[in-house]
This record gives sequence, structure tokens and C-alpha cells, in this order.
Amino acid sequence: MVIGLHLIVVTGQKKIQHLFLRAGFGETPAGILALRKFTLPELVSQLFSSSEKFRDLNYLPFPLNESQERKGASPFQVLKMILKSRQDMEELNSEWLFKMTYTPAVLREKLTFFWHNHFATSVPFAYLMQVQNNTLRRLALGPFGDLLHAIAKDPAMLLYLNNQQNKKDHPNENFAREVMELFTLGIGHYTEQDIREAARAFTGWTVNARGEYEFQKEHHDDGIKEFLGRKGNFNGEDILNILLEEKQTARFLVSKIYREYVNPTVPKERLETLSLAYYNSGYHTGELLRSIFNSDWFYDEENIGVKICSPVELIVRYKKLVDLQFKKNKTLVNLQYALGQVLFFPPNVAGWKGGTQWIDSTSLLVRLSLARYLVQGIPIGLKSRPAFEAPPDESHAETLMPATSDWGPLTNFFKDKGRLTESLPEHFIQCDPQDMNENGFAYPGAETTDEKDLIRSIVNILSMPQFQLI
Amino acid sequence: MRRRSFVKFSALASASILVPDFLKAFGNHYRELPGNGRTLVVIQLSGGNDGLNCVVPYRNDLYYKARPTLGLKREELHVLNDETGLHENLESLADLFHDGKLGILHGVGYPNPNRSHFRSTDIWQAACGENENATSGWIGRYLDAQCEGSCPRPHAAVEIDDTLSLALKGNKMKGLAFRNPQTLQQFFQNPVLRNTAESYRHSHGNPAAEYLNKTLAETYESAGYIYDHSKIFRSKRLYPQHEFGQHLKTIAELIASGSETRVYYISLSGFDTHAFQLGQQSRILKVYSEAMKSFCADLADANRFHETVILTFSEFGRRVEQNASKGTDHGAANNVFIAGGNLARSGLLNPLPDLGKLDQGDLVHSVDFRQVYATLLVKWLQADASEILNGNYPLLNFI
Repeated sequence: MVIGLHLIVVTGQKKIQHLFLRAGFGETPAGILALRKFTLPELVSQLFSSSEKFRDLNYLPFPLNESQERKGASPFQVLKMILKSRQDMEELNSEWLFKMTYTPAVLREKLTFFWHNHFATSVPFAYLMQVQNNTLRRLALGPFGDLLHAIAKDPAMLLYLNNQQNKKDHPNENFAREVMELFTLGIGHYTEQDIREAARAFTGWTVNARGEYEFQKEHHDDGIKEFLGRKGNFNGEDILNILLEEKQTARFLVSKIYREYVNPTVPKERLETLSLAYYNSGYHTGELLRSIFNSDWFYDEENIGVKICSPVELIVRYKKLVDLQFKKNKTLVNLQYALGQVLFFPPNVAGWKGGTQWIDSTSLLVRLSLARYLVQGIPIGLKSRPAFEAPPDESHAETLMPATSDWGPLTNFFKDKGRLTESLPEHFIQCDPQDMNENGFAYPGAETTDEKDLIRSIVNILSMPQFQLI
Repeated sequence: MRRRSFVKFSALASASILVPDFLKAFGNHYRELPGNGRTLVVIQLSGGNDGLNCVVPYRNDLYYKARPTLGLKREELHVLNDETGLHENLESLADLFHDGKLGILHGVGYPNPNRSHFRSTDIWQAACGENENATSGWIGRYLDAQCEGSCPRPHAAVEIDDTLSLALKGNKMKGLAFRNPQTLQQFFQNPVLRNTAESYRHSHGNPAAEYLNKTLAETYESAGYIYDHSKIFRSKRLYPQHEFGQHLKTIAELIASGSETRVYYISLSGFDTHAFQLGQQSRILKVYSEAMKSFCADLADANRFHETVILTFSEFGRRVEQNASKGTDHGAANNVFIAGGNLARSGLLNPLPDLGKLDQGDLVHSVDFRQVYATLLVKWLQADASEILNGNYPLLNFI
């Protein structure tokens, strides 16, 4: 009791919750209880083995029929696809969220989500976004080089960064710039001259009318290039390999992975150690994550409950906890919009900045009110935006959010004998109780059978700012 | 007896007693902003407003040639001078124009214009270059620049909407978005939110937790401030039933009530007129114009119009030539409207765009939109524009 508040011992339960919130999207209290009979190294192994098998996101069919497949899409069909894309994207969005919630391959799914932000792309062809999403998932846990090469030839990415306009006669530098600034080295580790030379190497990399990568030799510049201190008639693949030879690429990636998986602040020495190991492993991302989850420091108090979860992570947690569902996919997308993160619509190629940038007064109020609104059946009125073509007389009523939730499994779990103690918040809140304000939270005791009290208590916990921290 | 210890939540009965103390302790923390009580209102016409059919060059054959069915005839316009007229539904703007309370700036845009709604909106809101990845907005950075020891409160910049636009997101500071002051206040009927906000104390512990708690406490305080300042002045004027009208009315009431808010932001959507443009644009311009009429009159009644500047812009103009669906496609440079009771210069502020010199069928910009922002920041809000806009843009003379 005396040691009490200042020397917090991280409990086994908290560590397991931590592991699953970071490696995946969290688990329900019942799910965590079932995991408690295993040691942490066993759980880490299980996370990896359950991510070996996985399925593609297979929602949208190939949009071209057989005859079109040979010739490719006509401009008219392309236009039709663009017009339908937003609706397709809403459905794809909902499908992916479903997958995040219910797949056993949580580790792979979370990492796919990480790569979606790293290789941030948004084009108005939902099918191509699905193709890219499957590439990210398939190569997520393997060597980063494989993923980099695949994404450099990914149709959505090539279109997004205008590489179809990158031709020998007038190069477009967009892809070459971003591949260094955002995907490998990070800003400050290359010159404008390096960008120009790399752009030449990527000339002729384009997308054909069937929506596939195509190399057009006649538009490719096969002259000698000078790039990052090397000289040769490099093609695009050579450029990517040179970027992988640079140790800075490992440092850049480890720093980003650490910030996402461990802590927004990266200790310098640890960064160097991890980067060297990552580089020497041939950029094996799965192995990097395994070493992080198997380290003691990953479970240090200073790394637990210190990250503001992203809007998508928050929604998946709600789906897992109380089976949050939306009658229309559009309202799900509107909620994501209000919270600042719509899947398949990153703000730009730099992705979502995350951290405190998720939070403004308004988005915080929506986050904190979600539990209460769900339980009380209060629809949150959220306009779909940006609405460029919305009819000016759109009535507000149509934008109210009809959502359903089921609190039964959660309350049944806690009603089960012996489970309900003063420690109710520990099932939902990760950060140090010192940081919870002393509002005097008190909870129903073990003998409580009143479901309403229980729900009210849980809702109060989910309304705390600390629930937003993972 | 069953143990039901929600006791502390009932302590919210005492919360009302705590409020004044809390506000006092918290409120002293903040500085007044420079600018002599001046207010800036920014209206974004979303979707790409066809400025060429708003300010019509009715003597120009090229205009009628490019728009055989969409071109507006002189007799349909509010004539401004011997070559220019305003759309017939922009009646209140014509009145402001003749009163010396409206300036029209032609050909506002930026180099290498982007014709995507999303991208161009970001460029305008971030005030960034066409190749930069925008992560903060110009009004947000204006708030950042006011931080000296302490920052202004969130309600220093207000957006009337469900979500906060990029424009109002700074790196340190962010503005406050709400649909109306009552619904904002209602969030705090949740006792957890209210108790957490009221018991906020600065902590050096977990920085993420500290950030959330601090944001919540500031939001609570701003929500109370805004609610209090929405009741002092009640507009009796008629605003359009359209939500834009109601939202502009909210802004009028806040300004007239003396809210210390410096910048208000509001959007009106529906300007993406690819097909059957005439009816659609007329309807929505009418909403805009009627709302503006009551808005300016409310401000004048409250003796605040001379302390207010209203900027209206759109993310791009539209193609000069009409398309096959009796509409227009995405264009580039466009006109902006600047209204206010105390403009240094009003009327047509620069020459009409040259319809004979187009770039890919679009008007070429002659004024960088960041010059407009710089002028408002320096001459109206007394801020350092070069820091906020990350560059020096020549100032204009409408203020």
C-alpha cells in the first residue's frame, strides 16, 4: 500500500494488453483472460504463427470484362470507374475494418495498416487500391526490399505520383522525390541532383489500360546516371537497390516503426542497435518486430499507454468491445472523417502525421462522447465532408449517425463471479493511474448484478481521455 | 444493501460552485490578442465557384463565344460599370459594392494550379506551394504565432462545422469547430467530461495524457465562453433556412456579443457545377447573398461592421469554355470578394482577367492568394505574415 502509487508494478494483464494493442488492435477483456495462461514469449510466437495464414481483401471484382481485358479500358470506362469509385471505396473501407476486427492474423493486419500510412496512396480507382492493399498485406512481414520493389511498380502508386508522365523527354520527378523523402532515406539525405537522376531511371514506368504496371522502353532514359555517389546506366530497380544499400534507410524505417509500435520518442542508442540489426537481417521487418516484442524494455512502464490511438484503431477497439456497427457504410466513413482518418484517403503522400495531430477540441469531444452516445442511442450528427457537389439543401437529419452496439458480452463477462473488482478500469486503460485525474472513480462491487450500473461504469471509463491512450 | 458507489459522480451537483474559480484560475493564463478587436470572417465556397458567372464581363465577345448557353446577358446583371456586372442573385453584394463596402479582386490563384478539389483546397487552406505536403493551416499558424509564453484559447479561431478544417490547425494550436454553441455546450453534460475538465492540473507525467487533459480543459472553457457570448446579442433578422444562413447568423451573434474570437471560418458547398450549372449556381448564390445581407446588417446594427473584414474564396474557378452538359469543368484562377465596413479601397481592385490569354483553357492568375492572406494578417490582424506564410508576399491595398 505504501509503495502504492509511485512504484507501479506492471501486471501480467497489462503487459498482454499492451502487446495486443500494439501488435494488433487490442483484445476484449475475455480475450485477454484466455491469453493469461501463456508466457509473453509464447504469446509473441503465437502472434507470428497466426499471421502466417491470411486472406486477401477480395471484395471488388476485376472491373473489366474479357474483351476489355485484351484492349484495356476505354476513356469512357475509366470515367465510369472514377464516378463509382467513391462508393466502392466506402465498401472497401468497411470490409477492411471488418478484417482488422475479426482476422486471427492481427499482427499482419496491423502492419498492413502501418504500410498503408508509409506508402500513403489515394487514387479514384477502388480496385487498384484493393490491389495495393493486398500487396502490402502479402509482403508486410518479409524483407522491406521486396515491398519497396513491389510498391514502386504498384499501379495505384504510379498513378498517384504521376509516374505515367515520367518520360525521357520530360521527366516527372514526383515519384523519385517521394521514394527518397518518404519511403527510404528521409529528408536531408540526398540532393536535388539525386532526385533528377533517379527520375531519369524511373522513366518509362507506367500503368497500361488494363490497370497493370508496364515498362515502356521507348520512354526510358538508359543513359549514364550519377546517384548518391555512384555512377552507371542505372534503371529503376538499381536505384531502389542503392537506396537499400544505404544504412540511413534502415535508420529511417526503424525510427518510424519504433514510433508506431513502441514510443513517440526514440532513444538514440536503441535506434542505432535496432537499425544495425534490421540492416544486417536484410530489412526483415517481421524479425525486427519479433525482437521488439521479445525485449524487456518494450514492457517498461514508460512505453505503456503513451500513444494516442489513431481514429481507425479506436473504431476497431469499439467494434471488438461492443460490436459497433453502422447501417450505412457512409456513416462509418463520416465518423472516420470527423475523427481525421479515412482509410484509403490519406491527406497526402506523407500520410497521417498522427500523435497529437489527431486531436483538436472537436475531434476530442467526438472521441470522448462515443461510448455514451452509443449506449443512449444518441446519433452523432456528422456531415460528410468535404462535400463539393453536395446539394445545397441537404437536410441535416440524413447525416445523423445510426449505429448499433451490443454491450451484452462485456457485461456478461464482468457479471461472472469474482471478475468484478475495483480494478475495472485496468481492463480498458493502460496508462499510469497517476495520470488519471483524481475524480474519485468508484465501481460496483463483485456482487453487482445490475447491468445498467455496470454499463454506466464502463461507459464512464471509456469516456475518460485515458481510454484514448494505448 | 447493494454497494453502488457512483457517489462521486453525484458530486457534479457541486461542480457548478466550482466553475467560477476554475475559470478564473484558468482564464488568467491567457493573453489578449493584438488587433484592436478586429475580426476576420473567411467564407469558403466549396466545389469551385464559377467566378466568371459571378462577376460577368458583359462587353466581352470571348465570354459569350465560350459560353453560348451559360453566358449571362447584361439585362440579367447588376451592372457595376460599363463592362462588368454581378450575377442577378448577388443583390446584396451589388449593394455593398455601390456603398464602398466591397472589393473584388480578379485573377487570384497560384502557380501550376492543381485542379483536384482535395489538393487545391489543401493548398488554399495550408497556404502552401503546389508541391508541398500540407500539415498545418494558415489560420492555425496565425494562432501558433500568437503563443508567447502562453497560447491563445481555442475559441480565438472558430469554425462553424462538425469538423475542424486544415486551415485552423496549427502546429501547436488548433481552433474550435462546432455546429452551434448549444450543441458544443451539451458535450459537457457528460459528467466524466466535465469533471475531468474541471479537475485539470498541469502534469509532467505522460505527455500524451497531459495533452488530452489540457485540450479537454481548454475546450470546456472555450465552450463555456462561446455559449455565454452567444446569448448577449440575438439577431432578429431573417437568414436563409439553409444551414449556411443559420451558421452565419451564429457568427453574427458571436461578433455582436463581443466574443474575443479573431477569425471565423465557414464553408458553403455545392459549387461543383459540371452539369446544368445555371439553376444550381443561381440557387446557391442566392443563399450566399441573402445570408450576407442579413449578416452585414446585423454587424452594422451592433456597430461592428467597421471592425470586420469578410473574405470569400473558392478553391478554384472554372474552365472558361462551357462543357457539353451545360456546365463547366474545374479551372484555375478566380475572383475573391472582400467585404467590410472599413476598407481602404473598394470596387474593382484590379483589371478583369484576359479571356484571350488562357492556360489550358483556364484563367491565368495575376495575384497570388497568399498576397491576400498576407494583407489580412499584417494590415488587419497585426501579425507577422512572413513567419506564418513561410515567405514574403507583396501586400495589397484594400485595407
